[in-house]
Amino acid sequence: MAEVTYDGATCIYPGAERPAVNALNLPIEDGEFVVMVGPSGCGKTTALRMLAGLEEIDDGSIRIDGKDMVGVPSRDRDIAMVFQNYALYPSKTVGENMGFALKMQGIDKDERARRVREAAKLLDLEEFLDRKPRNLSGGQRQRVAMGRAIVREPKVFCMDEPLSNLDAQLRVSTRTQIAELQRRLHVTTVYVTHDQVEAMTMGDRVAVMRLGQLQQFASPTDLYDRPANVFVASFIGSPAMNRFDGTLTEDGIRLGQALIRPSSKQLQEARGHDQLVVGIRPEHVAVSVSGDLTVKVALVEDLGSDSYIYGSLADEPDSNIIVRSGRDHPRPGEVIKVSVDTSHLHLFDAGTGERVGD
Amino acid sequence: MTAIAPPVAGAHRIRARSDERRRGWVRRAPLLPALVFTIIITQLPFLVTLYYSLESWSLVRPGSQHFVGFANYAQVFEDSQFRTTALNTVIMTVGTVLIAMVLGVLLALLLDRKFLGRGVVRTLLITPFLIMPVGAALLWKTTMFDPTFGIVNYIFRPFGIGKFDWVGSFPLGSVMIEMIWQWTPFMMLLVLAGLQSQPKDILEAASCDGARPFAIFRELTLPHLRRYIELGVVLGAIYVVNDFDAVYMMTQGGPGISSANLPFYIYQRAFLGFQVGQAAAMGVVVVVATIIVATFALRLIFTSFSGTEQAA
Amino acid sequence: MTSADVAVPAAQTAEPALYTGKRAKRRSNSLTWGIVGWVVGIIFFFPVLWMVLTSFKTEAEAYTNTPHIVFSPTLSQYKAVFSSGLWPYVANSAFATIVSTILVLVLATPCAFALSLRPVKKTRDVLFFFISTKMLPVVAAIIPIYIAARDLHLLDNIFTLVILYTAMNLPIAVWMMRSFFLEVPGELLEAAEMDGAPLRRTVVEVILPIVAPGLAATALICCIFSWNEFFFAVNITATQAATVPVFLVGFISSEGLYFAQLAAAATVATLPVVLAGWIAQRQLVRGLSFGAIK
Repeated sequence: MAEVTYDGATCIYPGAERPAVNALNLPIEDGEFVVMVGPSGCGKTTALRMLAGLEEIDDGSIRIDGKDMVGVPSRDRDIAMVFQNYALYPSKTVGENMGFALKMQGIDKDERARRVREAAKLLDLEEFLDRKPRNLSGGQRQRVAMGRAIVREPKVFCMDEPLSNLDAQLRVSTRTQIAELQRRLHVTTVYVTHDQVEAMTMGDRVAVMRLGQLQQFASPTDLYDRPANVFVASFIGSPAMNRFDGTLTEDGIRLGQALIRPSSKQLQEARGHDQLVVGIRPEHVAVSVSGDLTVKVALVEDLGSDSYIYGSLADEPDSNIIVRSGRDHPRPGEVIKVSVDTSHLHLFDAGTGERVGD
Repeated sequence: MTAIAPPVAGAHRIRARSDERRRGWVRRAPLLPALVFTIIITQLPFLVTLYYSLESWSLVRPGSQHFVGFANYAQVFEDSQFRTTALNTVIMTVGTVLIAMVLGVLLALLLDRKFLGRGVVRTLLITPFLIMPVGAALLWKTTMFDPTFGIVNYIFRPFGIGKFDWVGSFPLGSVMIEMIWQWTPFMMLLVLAGLQSQPKDILEAASCDGARPFAIFRELTLPHLRRYIELGVVLGAIYVVNDFDAVYMMTQGGPGISSANLPFYIYQRAFLGFQVGQAAAMGVVVVVATIIVATFALRLIFTSFSGTEQAA
Repeated sequence: MTSADVAVPAAQTAEPALYTGKRAKRRSNSLTWGIVGWVVGIIFFFPVLWMVLTSFKTEAEAYTNTPHIVFSPTLSQYKAVFSSGLWPYVANSAFATIVSTILVLVLATPCAFALSLRPVKKTRDVLFFFISTKMLPVVAAIIPIYIAARDLHLLDNIFTLVILYTAMNLPIAVWMMRSFFLEVPGELLEAAEMDGAPLRRTVVEVILPIVAPGLAATALICCIFSWNEFFFAVNITATQAATVPVFLVGFISSEGLYFAQLAAAATVATLPVVLAGWIAQRQLVRGLSFGAIK
């Protein structure tokens, strides 16, 4: 158990035009479950591998329990890693796979067997201990990889998209299992994924990354309710947040023909940012005869419980808008009026993309 | 079941069967030329050899050909030279293959690391294997091992070795050095392919699990390399056991028969001694021995490639 | 934003000297291995290098107790080699190599096809048979081959060598081509069939372009083995059909030991295969392992 601190940690691949991870700062508390999320190529996996000692820390440092890890090989870091493709040792049985790290520590055979059995029980792997990895299903392999990590009782778990090779159903159930297991073991965990649902459901805190830069590090609710910039706003949440270009005026924000009126506090905070990006989540837009915005419906996704209306603003055919609606929804081609819940507006500076106000 | 089947169904079945047979031949047709050719060129001579081995026949005395039964075989087993050359063949094959494999593994481990000019070094290292064996043997015999002008003695001169005759003093060893030089690249290439086929994340997992480089090699890399090493040993042995060029060029089997292997000895008997029957009998003995060893080796290859590894 | 409050410029945090020390270590490590690699590479390559160097010396320079690294290169040895009648041998070698390789490909390709994409029954047995022919010692077959060639007046005939080299390389080519065919996705055959293409056209227009690189690699391996072959050549040929390896042997006995000239002859003899092998390094492994290793 340990605190992990990324302190200006930077990784530069030879020949790359920008750092894969650029001056990353992340203070991770003892026992915390932190998820790194972002589109592919954002540096999340590199950041994790830097912690595991598989990638050089070219600048800055990463500390585990205050100890600088620069130049410390993986084997001396006391971290356990779960790989995307599990990286099980093909020549060893499940039991030998799980006990390998203990064997390397010089722990005697009986103790090893005892701890492997314990972990196997926890993961429902007891009957497979003598099998080779290639005779296991994907889900079982995933559990062996987990088992190999937890047998060690390491300071930190590093997990690199451990669920991406499972089918959708198994992914959901394993997701909760891992989160539950982590809470029980209370081992500091850094978990990398590109799936924002995993990020939102599993992490105590989530680090959103893009192009090697940290965008925001906050709790899932914070990320959703107060995204730090346009990128985070559009990346977190499904379907994505609606975004419109707006111009600040005396009494509100003009979106094409329409004028929307945020709270006076928000309007006050927006002073000085003339060009804005206005963000509004689909659930905060409603079909309403008295609505301010006119929307031409292009497509309706009926999910059973509710539906999403995809369309564009009538006066701006290039714009996109998604509206959450009930089962009673308009048909494609119709023109409808929608109203915006102005208490849930997100404002961003159009130039910098940063959030405006609180 | 056939007895109670109605006649119509029977006719159907016959037509279906002949159809099937025809289709079988259509499938087999592309295979046949190569198969027939190989059987004629490689199998027929063995049968003829078997026949010759039962005759006494000297090539230089026309009409000397006559049936002698197993007399040739009796002679072969009494022939102490045959036993010596057989032993030479075993020493040469086992020694060359094993040493070349150990060196090959070391070189492959070296080439598996990233360093400046790795591709060039790799190219340099595979070159000995590409050199025409006759040329290589000649090269070693002259420019390398020559007592007066050879490089080897020049290098060892500071150590007080004068004009030492390597090929004359250690004929078998000299031939083996030349063959090891030629076969190490072969082993290296196979092992390197094995090393590079090992998934990287497994090595990373092992180092996260606290394994030191040597432990990773022993616990994971070596088991992974096993089938590549086995393949290298078997294929290397097939070629080395048949080696003729190096012996012919470097020592002519001499002095005496001290560096002769079976291919060379049989060749001598047949083409210099003109003893067809005896040479054929020796050939048959060698073939039988090879079949025994090869069945064993083939099983090894096939099990290791069907992927039933033992617990590591 | 939670991330902002811990921003400390990296370069100013603890022990910069220690950092650079550890960071520099890995680099110097790879330098050490680089040096070891180069030294070992040059040691292994040295006999070849020495052969080439010697071939450019005069005989007087070649025969020195202390080897000369620096000398004024001369082409006289090469002139001597070519004027001593090397060309007919090269022509024989080239003919035997090329014709046998073509024959091998013509025979092996359909055979490998029947053992992979459209497998016949007992595929395994056939493959087994092919590889087992490589295991049987050639020396046991040479006597009847020699006598048959003698009786059919085919001794010292280049076509005899062509036939023997074809048989020698056929098993390797079958295994190798099969491994290339196995890489062709089976759906491709099915797709072509659904598009209404007859099998022959499918093979010619769809399969062959895919395995073309494999075909080239196989050809190369066969060429290497044929060009370097000596045992058959020395036993079956005399003067008319003798190949380059035989020339090398004849050279040593007729001319005595002339190092420099010998080196020039050996260089010429080995050059084609060395160049081909360098170019085809990647395919070499596959050919040598009968297609078992990619």
